[in-house]
Amino acid sequence: MTEEPRLSAQDIIDRLAPVLSPRVRIRAVAALLAGVGGTVFVGTLWWSEPGPLPGRTHLAFALFTVFCLAWATYGGWLLTRRVPLFATDLVIAAWIGLAASLATTAVVTVVAVQRGTGAGLALAVGGVFVAVALALAVRAHARRAALLRRMHELTGREER
Amino acid sequence: MTDELLVVRAQLGERAALAELLAQWRVPVWTYVRRMLDADRADDVTQEIWLAVVRGLPRLREPGRFAPWLFTIARRSVTDRLRGEYAREQETLAADDVATEDPVEAMVDRAALMNVLSELPVLEREILVLFYLEDLSVEECAYICRTPAGTVKSRLSRARRLLREHLKEKGYRP
Repeated sequence: MTEEPRLSAQDIIDRLAPVLSPRVRIRAVAALLAGVGGTVFVGTLWWSEPGPLPGRTHLAFALFTVFCLAWATYGGWLLTRRVPLFATDLVIAAWIGLAASLATTAVVTVVAVQRGTGAGLALAVGGVFVAVALALAVRAHARRAALLRRMHELTGREER
Repeated sequence: MTDELLVVRAQLGERAALAELLAQWRVPVWTYVRRMLDADRADDVTQEIWLAVVRGLPRLREPGRFAPWLFTIARRSVTDRLRGEYAREQETLAADDVATEDPVEAMVDRAALMNVLSELPVLEREILVLFYLEDLSVEECAYICRTPAGTVKSRLSRARRLLREHLKEKGYRP
């Protein structure tokens, strides 16, 4: 039987291009960051509104929050289920996440201070985000370092 | 270059290593799929397997065990297509499962082997493909099929017996 696969290696790689393209990764990271950042920002505005709010305003804030959460969920789903993030991608994504967490914390704190509601809660929530982002960055670096170490071990073994 | 080095480089994000890995394993994966499924579905399922491999590769914790991991993914895709056949298969071990001769080792005519393989039940066909065509060990077959090594051995034994019977029917003399 001389039957052979109809798809060449290049055909298969070409068909995998949508999954491996940087554009999908950027879209996923952007959706997640915008979603999480937006949720925190809208949540802060909602919480720091002075005085009792009419029902329609509450509804509007709730809708904005749900909208942002939907984007965050979409981004998270893309990153965990659809788009493979390799070790180097993870390091980059972790630093983007850390930068976005710091920026969101700064904006939310400024808004809270300007509205006179105190920076305590804003800093606490932002601190949690920054800590999580930092932990992810450390983990991503450790994973990449372990892979690089293993690669050098194996390369050295092959050269010997 | 070893599979492990290619996997590690691919996990770091090197596209060339991923392409090389794919080029090395393209035919073995397709061979397994084609022996389990008809030609019409083989290419699509192979593509589906590679998609799952690329998506799962960053999470592979033991790069040295790439082959069993790859065939676990391949088996999952094939099982999805043959769910009915797998469900019907029963582990009915016969007493004479301990084979004294190995018809596959004795079989020189690969084309004839392919012909006979397609007539075997799915579990027996699968174990012959993994063990003989893909050169995987009993332990690796057990990992892929999620069964104890003892079950793999008895399944192999039964598969050899069935193969021998089919070969006799077709007039092949090992």
